[in-house]
Parts: sequence; C-alpha cells; structure tokens
Amino acid sequence: MSRSRSQRRRQSIARPRRLAAPPLRFFLPVTVLATLLALMVLRGMANNEVFHDQDIATSVDKATVPTSVLEGGPVVDARGDKNKKPVNYTIPDKTVVLSFDDGPSPQWTPKILEVLKKENVRADFFVTGSMVTRNPALIRQIVAEGHQIGLHTFTHPDLALHSGTRLTWELGETQLALAGVAGIHSSLFRPPYSSTVDALDDWSWPVTKQAGSEGYLTAFIDKDTDDWKRPGVDSIVKAAMPDLPGQGEMVLMHDAGGNRAQTLAALPIIIEKLKDQGYTFRTTAEALGTASANTEVTGYNLWVGKAFVWCTTFSVGLMPWLVALLAVVGVLVMARFALMLVLSAVHVRRVRKKGFSWGDPVTEPVTVVVPAYNEQECITNTLLSLAASDHPIEVIVVDDGSTDDTSAIVEELGLPNVRLIRQQNSGKPTALNTGVAAASHDLIVMMDGDTVFEPSTVRELVQPFADQRVGAVAGNAKVGNRDTLIGAWQHIEYVMGFNLDRRMYDVLNCMPTIPGAIGAFRRTALQQAGGMSDDTLAEDTDVTMALHRAGWKVVYTEDARAWTEAPVSMKQLWSQRYRWSYGTMQAMWKHRHAVLERGPAGHFGRVGLPFVSLFMVVTPLLAPAFDIGMVYGVVFVDAYKTLAAWFAVMALQAVCAWWSFHLDKEKAWHLITLPAQQVVYRVLMYMVLMQSAITALTGGRLRWQKLKRTGEVGLDVTTGAMSS
Amino acid sequence: MSTGDVFTNTAERGAYGIRDFSDTVALRVTDPAAIPAQRAPEPEEAAPAPARKPGRDRYLDLLRALALVRVVVYHNFSWTWLPIVFPSMGVMFALAGSLMVRSLNRPALSVIRGRLRRLLPPMWLFGAVVVPLMILEGWRPDVHHTTWWWGDLAYWVLPFSEPPFGVPLDTFGGHLPASWAEQICVPLWYLRAYLWYVLLSPLMLKALRKLPWVTLLVPLALAFVINSGLVDQSGRLMEAATDFTTFGSCWLLGMAHGEGLLRRIPQYVVPSLAPLVLMFGYWWLMRSPLDNPRLGHDLEAVPVAQAIWSFGAVMLLLHLSPSWEQWPKPLERFNGVISLLNSRAVTVYLWHSFALVLTEPLIDPLWSNSFFYDHAQWLLASQWTPLVISVPLICLAILLFGWIEDVAAKRRPRLFPYPRRSKGRRRNR
Repeated sequence: MSRSRSQRRRQSIARPRRLAAPPLRFFLPVTVLATLLALMVLRGMANNEVFHDQDIATSVDKATVPTSVLEGGPVVDARGDKNKKPVNYTIPDKTVVLSFDDGPSPQWTPKILEVLKKENVRADFFVTGSMVTRNPALIRQIVAEGHQIGLHTFTHPDLALHSGTRLTWELGETQLALAGVAGIHSSLFRPPYSSTVDALDDWSWPVTKQAGSEGYLTAFIDKDTDDWKRPGVDSIVKAAMPDLPGQGEMVLMHDAGGNRAQTLAALPIIIEKLKDQGYTFRTTAEALGTASANTEVTGYNLWVGKAFVWCTTFSVGLMPWLVALLAVVGVLVMARFALMLVLSAVHVRRVRKKGFSWGDPVTEPVTVVVPAYNEQECITNTLLSLAASDHPIEVIVVDDGSTDDTSAIVEELGLPNVRLIRQQNSGKPTALNTGVAAASHDLIVMMDGDTVFEPSTVRELVQPFADQRVGAVAGNAKVGNRDTLIGAWQHIEYVMGFNLDRRMYDVLNCMPTIPGAIGAFRRTALQQAGGMSDDTLAEDTDVTMALHRAGWKVVYTEDARAWTEAPVSMKQLWSQRYRWSYGTMQAMWKHRHAVLERGPAGHFGRVGLPFVSLFMVVTPLLAPAFDIGMVYGVVFVDAYKTLAAWFAVMALQAVCAWWSFHLDKEKAWHLITLPAQQVVYRVLMYMVLMQSAITALTGGRLRWQKLKRTGEVGLDVTTGAMSS
Repeated sequence: MSTGDVFTNTAERGAYGIRDFSDTVALRVTDPAAIPAQRAPEPEEAAPAPARKPGRDRYLDLLRALALVRVVVYHNFSWTWLPIVFPSMGVMFALAGSLMVRSLNRPALSVIRGRLRRLLPPMWLFGAVVVPLMILEGWRPDVHHTTWWWGDLAYWVLPFSEPPFGVPLDTFGGHLPASWAEQICVPLWYLRAYLWYVLLSPLMLKALRKLPWVTLLVPLALAFVINSGLVDQSGRLMEAATDFTTFGSCWLLGMAHGEGLLRRIPQYVVPSLAPLVLMFGYWWLMRSPLDNPRLGHDLEAVPVAQAIWSFGAVMLLLHLSPSWEQWPKPLERFNGVISLLNSRAVTVYLWHSFALVLTEPLIDPLWSNSFFYDHAQWLLASQWTPLVISVPLICLAILLFGWIEDVAAKRRPRLFPYPRRSKGRRRNR
C-alpha cells in the first residue's frame, strides 16, 4: 500500500517535468492541427455553420430603456458622449429609406439592384459577414451603384442572448470581410431580429448601447413589410406605406434568406407609389444629412481584410477534399473494425475447436534467450519464472554491457540451466544473435529481461512448431502494471492488439511483428531470414517480415502469456512508441520490394504491407483530424450532435474492446478508461508519427546511428522507469 | 502515516520493493536481499529535514488558499467562469471533511465540541460587530412577527439556520447601498452548512464505512430530488437541506480521502471517471435556464450542476493529492501568503465581503476629486480597483479580528501570523 502511494506521489509532482519534451517535436503537429481548426472555422463562418444558433430572445421588461429612445425615431446614436444619453434621429418628412437585410444573395440581390437602378433609387443594404465572404462581387456592385452598406453581424445571431465579446467579434469580423471584398468599413449597424425602437427591451437595449460605445449608429425601422413571411405583394406594398401622409420612414425588406420573388415584385410598386406621393429616396446618411456611413480603408486594415477573404476562399475550396479524405479514412476504420471482429471470431473458432492441435505435441527442449541491459530490478523475477517452466529449457542470458549489477545477480542466483554471456554493449539485435549462436537447441524463445513467464508459457509457445511450415510464433504479452492510468491504457491497447489485430493477421497470414517480449523461432527459419539485424530500430518487425518473405508461416498462440511492465510515464511511453513507429517505417521501407515479389513474399508484400502502412501510419496520421472535427463541432456548431456522434464511435470501439477482453478472459473494468485512452492515444500516436516522419525525411539514419551507440534505444526504453 | 511514506520515498532511489499487483504476476524483485548491498539507498543526503511541525500537508494548504482567493475574486467580479475553473466551496468542504475524519477516532461528542469551539467564536465576533451596526441603521423587530424575530436572533449564536439580517437598512448617510447587510452576510450560509456537516459527521462516517459508494452518491441523489421542482424549497429548513445536499458529496469525498478509501481503488479509476462526471455537470449547467443571457450560466446559481461539477473536480484534486511535506520549488515563494491564509481562513472568509462593501464608500469620494476625475476615470471605473483596495482591508480585518481564531484553537494569539522567512532557506547571511 505505502509503496504504491509513494509511487503515485512521485509521478504527480514530477509530471510537468517529464512531459517537458523538446518543443520542436510538438511544434509542427500542433501547428498543423491548429491551422486545420482555423481553416474549418473560417469555412464554417462563410457557410454560416459556426455559431449558427437560432435562439431568439423573448421580450422582457423595458425598465432600463430610456423613454425618449422608445418613443423616438428609428436611428439611435449612442456614440461617444451620447452613450449615457442616447439620441434618436427621425427620417425627415417626405423622405424614405429603403433597407434590405440579410444579403447579399446571388439569386435576388442582382435583381433588386436592377430595379433600384432603373428607378434611380439608392437604398441601404444591411449585410451579414458570411454572405459578404461568399458574394464579394455583389458587395462591390452595391457600393459602386451608390447604395450604402450597413452591418447585420457575421452569423446573424440574436445578440441579446450573447456576450459583449461576441458582439465585438461579430462586428469586427464583418468589417474585415467588407474591407477584404470592397475596401470599405461601415459605421451603420442593425441588430438581427430587431424591429422598431419601441420594441427595445432590457435584453436588447445593452446591445444598442454597446454598439454605440464601439462607434456604430444603430438603425432600427419604422415600417416592417414582413416580406420574409411572403404575405403577398399587395400586403408588402401596403405595409410599406406611411402611417401619416408625408411622414418620413425607414422601410425594412429582405434581399436574402429565402424566396424573395414577392419582395422583388412589390419593390417597383412601392417606389412608384411613394414617388407619386412626392417622396424622395435616400440612404440613411443622406436622409440624416451626415457623411456617408461607408469609409474607404487603406493600409493595414485593407490588407488584413484581404488576407481574411483569401484564407476563407482557400478553406472553402479545401474543405470538401479534406472531408472526402476523412470519409475514406472513416470508412476504412469501420471496415477494419468489422474485419477484426469477424476474423478474430474465425481465429477463435479455429484454435478453440475441440480436438484442434498443431500436430504431435512438441516436447523437445527449447533455448530461451534473454537479452539484458541494466535489468537488475527485473532479471531475478524473469529467471525465477523461467525456472518454474514445465517445459525443458535452457536459458541464455546475454548481458549487453550492462553498467549495473545484472550479471552479478544472474551469477548469484546460480540457477541450473542458466548460462550467462557477457558482451560489449552493442545493441539488442546483436545480443539476440549472440544468444542464438550459443543456443544448444533448434527451437529458440526470445523474451525481454523485464518480462515474466507463466510456467506453461514456453510449452504453449512452441506447440505450433509441430506444423513444419511454422517458422515463428507470437505469444500473448500482457501488461502487469495496469493499475495506473497509463498502465490501464496500455492494458486495453495490448488486449485489443493481441486479441483482435494479431488474430486477424494470423488468419490473413501476414503478422507484421512478433513481440520482443515473447516470441519463438525455428533456428533454420532465423538463419534463412539472416538473423536479427540492426538495420532498423524495430528488429522484431524486421525479422518477422524477413520470415514472411522467406515463406515461413508466422502464427499467434493465445495461451502463451508473458507479463511485462509497461512504461509508467508519458515520456517513456513516448520514446517507446517513437522507437516502434519509426522502426516499423524503417522495416516497411526495407522490405518494400516484397510488393513485387512472387509466392509467399508477394502475398505478404501485397496484403500485409499495405495493411500495416494503412493502419499503422496513414490512419493514425489522419485520426486527429477527427478530434479537430469534434472540437470544431462542439465549440462552433452543435455540441450535442457532435458529442452524440463521438460517443457513438466510442461505443463501437467499446464493443470491440469488450469483445477482445472477453476473448482474453479478462475482466472488463479497465474499459471505463477507454474514452480517455482514445483521446490521449490518438493525439500521442499522431505526434509520435509526425516525429517519426520528420526524422525519416530529415536524415533519420544518422540520428539513429548515434542512438544505437548509446545502447539506450535498444533496450532501456522498454524496461520502464527503473533504470533511469 | 504520511510522514513514513515521505521518508521511504525520498530514500528509494532504486525504486524496487514490494508492489501489490492484485491479480497480476509480480514483476519486480520482492526480496531486496537478492540485490547486492552496494545499491542500497543513501539516506544521508535526503533525510535530515529541518525540524518542523509534522503532518502539515502543503497541498491541502494550497487548495484552501486557492479556494479563499477564488471566493474573494469571484465576489468582486462575479465572473461566471471562475467557479467552473475552481469550485471553491466544494474544495473547502472536502478539506474540512478530510480533517474531520482524522479527528473522529476520538469520541464523537468531544470532536464536535472541538470543531464548534473553533468555528463559533469568530462568528460571534463577526455578529458582535455586524448586529449592532444593523440595529444602528434601523434594523427593528418585525411588526408582525416580533417573537420570531427575537427567536431568529438565536441563529447568530448557533447557526442552525442562516443568521438573520435586515434589508433594506439605512445607508450610513448614503455611503452604502441599502442592501449592505445582505452583501456583508453573504458568507454566513457556509457556517450553517459547516455546522450541519460537523453534527452529522459521525453518522456519515459510519455510513461511509459500511457502504462507501452508496453513501458518496446519496447527497447527489438527494440534490436531484430537492431541486427537481417537486419539492417546495422555501423555508429555512429546505435552504439548509439544499446546501447540505449540494456539497454533501464533497464533504464525504473529503472523509473518504481522510479514511484512505480513495487510495484503495485502482489509480486509473478516478481520472477516467472524473472527466465524465465533469461533462455531465457542465451539461446540466448549460441546460439550466438563464438569469441574464449576457452574463452566461453561473454555476453558483444551479445547485445540481454545482453539486456534480464540484464532486468531479474534488475527486480529481483529491486523487492527485500528492501530500507535500515541503513546498515544490515553484511554490516556495508563496509560503508566506498561503500560511497566512490558512491560519486565518475563517477570518478572511467572514470579513472579505465586509471589506468589499467598504471599498465602495472609499472609492466614491474620488469621483469628486478633480485630478482623479480628469486623469484616472479608468481607474475609478475599473472593477479591479475594489479588489486591490479590499486587500489591505482584509489584512486590517486579520489584525483586528484574526486573534480570535487562535483563542478558539487554544493557541497563543498572534496578531499577523505571516511567517518571517520561507522555511529551510536562509537569506541575508
């Protein structure tokens, strides 16, 4: 008890330091992900997908709205000094301001502009930022034809329901878009879902006040035509007529957001009728006799606006491709789940069938090679567990130049059938080769110095050699320290990897790796494959691929269990995974010619290699895009739907995980940590793969050579915390 | 217990030893004798720690100080995100529960008496200042319920329910808002809740020992029931019940922590479950109706969300619980402030709202000062100004009223228990 407690204590204090990895290794992945997120948001803004909330505030009390504002004209000025005492402006008599909200739309705005041009009338257009980014040419046309642009926010939310920050953001982004497409800013603002000034209430009034304090003139309306309800042309015309003859008015219509045929038809009639009554048509600024609300922007603001529009255009164009790519990956991942479920069931049926055997029982003695580099904490247990084996074995411990007491411990134990070979530190592959060379028997088991076997493990592991085509056997490695968070994650990963992946690979006959922790080889097969090689960082993957190319069968046996100690800190896990993923890349590159070969080598090259590269390299590299998509969905679009989708995928994974635990007869308690594991692992594997890819592309061999000479990557990383 | 752990820990460089892997095979050497003596730990370097009071867990001190600071800042700014970042009240109750369970190996009655002895005198002192002030400003017996009014005053002696205060009152000649007493008495609910937890702790501990998981979740379940709208929540009793259920699970978590229950479950469990609990609490918060849409959802106003969120956060914080005997390097420099806040926690908590209310009459006159009006309007209008001004006011409260905490704890009264020098470090020598 006290032991595990202090263990935990140490971890939590030291965690920040252990996580401190060189910044560069995070820089590129994080940049890529952040850029992706930014592009998605830009595109979502342009398509009015982000923040697209349609909640509309219900009206509340008007206690805080000044009476003068409620009873005044449609334009409210709360700028600067007037913020404490806002002033209303009325449209002068015999003057009418036509205003069109929500546009511009490519379908209706050009037609409305045509009518206005024909009648020689100028009007206000209150545009939304998302429409601006999508229809830049229309904005330029509106401006060129002398109309006035006002802001109607970027995404058209009811601002009464949002924070002041959101208001600032909405207006700022819309100005950016306007600057980008037309080189102008506007100081005229109309809040979405607003109406006449007497409709202001305690929730919407602060919006107007804030807009004023940010320098905007807020334009409400006198007459609402309700044209968006499509009440009929006559009704729209009627609604646009003044209450009292000759009274000035601000008329609201819409040039986007649905079918605007009625608006279009009513517009010439309204203009004719009002002209007959002696009205003149003005923009708000003209009507109030002030300078135009639209000002040209230059310099920095102009270029930022342009950059904004460029990026948006780029992201809108890019996103379909990305979505298609993700869809492909999604389908592949689902297909893989299905395949794993089916093939693991096939494998279980095959090997657990009554009367199944590989052939006659294998009883011949076996050599167990234990490469050891600084394993003083673990080697005793390893050897004691081997001594309890119920199969005749000879153990060869190869001390690869340890700097601790590994050799002394082995000698001191003095177990029968255990031989110790000391060698200069020269890496795990060499140590294994040394052991194989000294082995007296033809069946050779390889294990790690930090691994513990059950008494039956060796016997179970070598039974498949009864089949003469079998050249190597992979055992079932299990995580011993599964009580910590990282341990539990790796436990889940190991159980799934051994019970789904390896069974699938077994059935497909393309097992990519025999785990270093527990594997058995036929000496002849090893010799044909050229022994262990130090060409790659993952000699186990390398030799397994070589065996496939030499035509040997590689199988998985579930009952040969080895208990291993998984890395206990993120840093150790990182370096282990880095070694694995980079090593796998190297091994695949080394054996790439198998794709073109004939016979069993060709089978491996055309089935196994694509499989491995697809699911160990390509998919993990794209997987964080899903997480980014989730962040995007939760934060910007619809949190509930996104989370529901995410948990659905999680449930699917949970089913697979539960199935694998069931196959391994493990209790499924650890699955409660599956959601956390998925999130962390996807990101971790992505980062590791990016680092591996960078290393592979930028003179990785040199770096690896240096690593090898220290001997650390060969063994130390896998042994867990204790040697550091 | 914790002292022993710490020493084994600093000594263990080899980090071998006995491990409890329950259902898995032991991977490590179980017999240290199997390893040559040369690798034996060298205790000489690490062991001689400076003599100091044993058993002071600096991590818990840090949490308590953070909770206090958070409460003050929140009451000044009303930032709705702050309770989400750090659910102070849950943390405070959990810490109290953890302390309570440690003393409960003594007879329950004497423990309860001891707790009350430390809690009530500071409150009495607070009442001795606030109640006369209220009466001075026109607090009078209720015309219709005179007897009740006098009866309720008893809560200023023993806060089974929230001590009463007057609203509206006179304003000290216009210097304070009419609701000043209400604002000052904001922290009092905590004492009421604390009193009930202390009284019920022996029972809760029994239940916790018998059915740990069920007991932990009972207050949460009750919180759902009470806040479901099916129960009439008005009245002094239901007020107490609502707060009791809101933070009951945190108090129990603290007790479970003190009992070592949390250490008995596998380490992966809490960090796996807590995020889900937090997500659930956040979701509950988001689906609750809004008071003011421009301010956003406030955790403090939604008891069920508060209960769930605090439960999840406290679970995580107690899981981490690294038991610092000594400050980690980066925190060393805050030793003084944190120690001060810990030894004057009740004082700071009780008097901080008093200090915040007093900042208003202190800042207001500056508006008539022409220099400030012309050049520093931003300063006068800033929300930070009252916070900055409240700090010396709180220090003043510590000087004036803090000693009673020492008296209540039967210690030698100290004026301002700020440790002179950070421990174990020498300067100017």
